[in-house]
Amino acid sequence: MTAIASTVAFAPSASTSTNAVVLEGLTKSFTKQRGWRAAVSRKARESVRALSDVSVDIRSGEFFGLLGENGAGKTTLFKMLATLVTPDAGTATVSGFDILKSPNRVREVLAPVIADERSLHWRLSARENMRLFASLHDLRGAEATRRIDELLSLVNLVDAADRLVSGFSSGMKQRLLVARTLLARPSVLLLDEPTRSLDPISARSFRRFLREDVALAQGCTVLLATHNAEEAFELCDRVGVLHRGNLVAVGQTSELARAVGEDRFALWIRPADQSAIDALIGRGVIRDAKAFGDAEEGWSRIECDLRGGLDGAAEAIAFLAKAGVSVGRCEPVKLSLADLLERVLARHVDA
Amino acid sequence: MHKVWALIRSNWLAASSYKLGFIFSFGSLILSVIPIFFITRALQTTMADVIRGQGDQYFAFLVVGLISLNVVSSTVYALPGGLQTATSTGTLEALLATPTSVTALLLGLSGYEVLFTVLRSAVMLVAAAAMGARVEWHQLGASLPIVALIVVAHLPIAIITAAMVLAFRTRGPLAQLVLMASTFLGGVYYPTTVTGIPAPIKAISAFIPLTYGLTALRAVLLEGNSITTVWRELSILSAFTVVALIASAIGFRAALRYARKVGNLAQY
Repeated sequence: MTAIASTVAFAPSASTSTNAVVLEGLTKSFTKQRGWRAAVSRKARESVRALSDVSVDIRSGEFFGLLGENGAGKTTLFKMLATLVTPDAGTATVSGFDILKSPNRVREVLAPVIADERSLHWRLSARENMRLFASLHDLRGAEATRRIDELLSLVNLVDAADRLVSGFSSGMKQRLLVARTLLARPSVLLLDEPTRSLDPISARSFRRFLREDVALAQGCTVLLATHNAEEAFELCDRVGVLHRGNLVAVGQTSELARAVGEDRFALWIRPADQSAIDALIGRGVIRDAKAFGDAEEGWSRIECDLRGGLDGAAEAIAFLAKAGVSVGRCEPVKLSLADLLERVLARHVDA
Repeated sequence: MHKVWALIRSNWLAASSYKLGFIFSFGSLILSVIPIFFITRALQTTMADVIRGQGDQYFAFLVVGLISLNVVSSTVYALPGGLQTATSTGTLEALLATPTSVTALLLGLSGYEVLFTVLRSAVMLVAAAAMGARVEWHQLGASLPIVALIVVAHLPIAIITAAMVLAFRTRGPLAQLVLMASTFLGGVYYPTTVTGIPAPIKAISAFIPLTYGLTALRAVLLEGNSITTVWRELSILSAFTVVALIASAIGFRAALRYARKVGNLAQY
């Protein structure tokens, strides 16, 4: 674990039998091959590190979020767990099965929800799609029919079950993808940006479905890769932040937000005395200040990091009062995921 | 085996959902027999001596040759084609994530295409018979294992081509070379024993699996001989099949390992 993780009071990772997924030193590089020279000469090829010494334990029944910018290594990690990519070094076990030594057993207990709608057979009905994958998961006869009906009902697709998938909306396809994945009663579910093609209302209802009907009712351990802050905070028990293949932070979402975002405050001041703000910056009491102009009746909103949290806030308010600046309101600011990630990464780089 | 059938069934359902295309594929086949009938009738006198002992009737000789070529073409292209389609439509990743063996996946992805070609071939044979092609129908059952052996003998070519698709996203030249050699030197249009072809080129036909398959098939289906009379051809074909299957399986496993290593297993 890197320095940033150690600065945060994260939940301890326990290598016990209750761990659904255990990653130890998982490392992967890909060769970037561009142009004819690289095709014929090994020396001309560039190697890109996709994952670097990633270690984390994910407990059974946990909803674990994987955050990070594009190219951080989230999809590579998911593909490794799904046995589609082999690691260069390190090990990973899913429900106790090694991804390299027992890939078939891993595929029995882990199911990736491939969010790409194209992975459905569009010229088949929803029921036929389900029937095909039921067979591939060794579900047959009456048991398969019962399970298919149960899952189509769960994802609210009973009425559309015999329609061709090509006529489905994005939301319906996403729900069918999840239903298809649940056929095998997986103990671990991988979700790669499951709501990316959904409108906000469908996305919210889909998240509720994931939390209540998939994670809680089916008892699945869920790994979720997402760019969506609302999704991460609403669903995940813990999150891990990947940056250029490194797992730079792991912790509960609330802890992570507190660890890197608890010193962000909004102050409503009148008048907007720039020299007083500059003086506070000069004294090191505040930093990264952003003014948002007149909010109401001459009050200006300033968002800034206050050194020392509430003590810093008290010091700033006292200083401003002495300078003849009234402080009408002072409250903590809830950071967006983008801000949160930026801060985690900045601390990682500093460390 | 039920997984293979499930894949074949889903491919059939998908293909038959394009109803017009499904009907046309049979219609065009029946229509294609008409020009073959007239051309072979015109060439019957010229070819009579050349094809003696292989049905004697050039129309039936050529129809059986073309049917076999269709089956071979479908076999060598169905597997890599199925793999390419599954990759480009995005279904391959989902299929690979199920606890299904790679062998079952490959057979399932290509099975429908091959079976459909065999069915179309049967329709073409019936159409040709209706137009006067002399076929020993009582030998149809005996000819089916020969057709099956022709299919299996060409699976290694399909597997190696699929391995190329998996590892390098290209089919490579093997399938096309085999198909071209089979077309011109495998006895489709004329017997491989025909005089006038330079010896080195003629020698190539001894290394083409279709040569043996076609000789056996014509002897049984057109001459009405027992299958035991073609044991030599079938033995050579079987030996080739076993060796080539082992080699292609090793090649495919290597390609799979490579694709998992470089991370392009399900990449478009």
